[in-house]
Amino acid sequence: MKIEIKKFGDKLVSRPAGREAFMAMESYLLKDLPKDEPIEIDFFGVKALTPSWADEVVTKIAEKFENVKLLNTENATVQATLKTLREYSGLKI
Amino acid sequence: MNGENIEKSAFNWITAPSDKVDVDSEYYCQTRDIFEARNDRVPENLIKMGLDESLSYIVYAMSGELGNNAFDHNLGNWPDVPGVFFAFDYDGKNGVLVIADRGIGVLNSLREAIPDLTDEKKALEIAFTKKISSRVLENRGNGLKFIKSNVLEKNLFLQFVSGKTQVSLNHEMKITETASPVRGCLVILKF
Repeated sequence: MKIEIKKFGDKLVSRPAGREAFMAMESYLLKDLPKDEPIEIDFFGVKALTPSWADEVVTKIAEKFENVKLLNTENATVQATLKTLREYSGLKI
Repeated sequence: MNGENIEKSAFNWITAPSDKVDVDSEYYCQTRDIFEARNDRVPENLIKMGLDESLSYIVYAMSGELGNNAFDHNLGNWPDVPGVFFAFDYDGKNGVLVIADRGIGVLNSLREAIPDLTDEKKALEIAFTKKISSRVLENRGNGLKFIKSNVLEKNLFLQFVSGKTQVSLNHEMKITETASPVRGCLVILKF
């Protein structure tokens, strides 16, 4: 399963917006998938990402699934956000 | 409005008596929706003004974290005027972005998670360096660490005032008492 983050917007900032995105993913994309389903989170086309938004999505997907890969993480805000989540939010990917 | 005037206006807005706050200001965002709609235009405006694209989006992401923090930590609990004063400027060389709120401030916000916390300096140190959030049910809180990391990596300057205490951050972090205390939080980002 590939999750194209750009489909939720290219500027992803607030925690409520992240929560809403995750609810949509749970209802339509992640529903009934087994824990070991390979998940790719693709940041292609994302212009700005914050830890608040990503904590509601990336951290939760990483807690729910065992085999999660991150793709196209070159954007500076994506890099900075992932660094913050790894350091302070226990993100292991 | 240029950078210096933005700072003065934000200070006047945050320190005004409750019945004298300029809620008609074009820089006042009463709700999160208004703040987000205005913040969404920041990167494109900064790029048009000549700021590097990558830095424009970093400034936007930082601004988003700071503004949303104000709403996250004060929702339903504003002491008087809800919302934030939000303004920015870039003159081709120097940029300034200001977010001010008349909320409960960092110490009172963190006390919800750490009830015995009484020291404002300690509260700000925790907010910028430790993994904690005062929104107990959420149990997260890494926005200010993201801010700090970007300030250090991009050689920016941040002044964060809450109550009688201020954090000055660039290549190092200094926490001192301020001669100009504020209610809530006043944040000035220079880039």
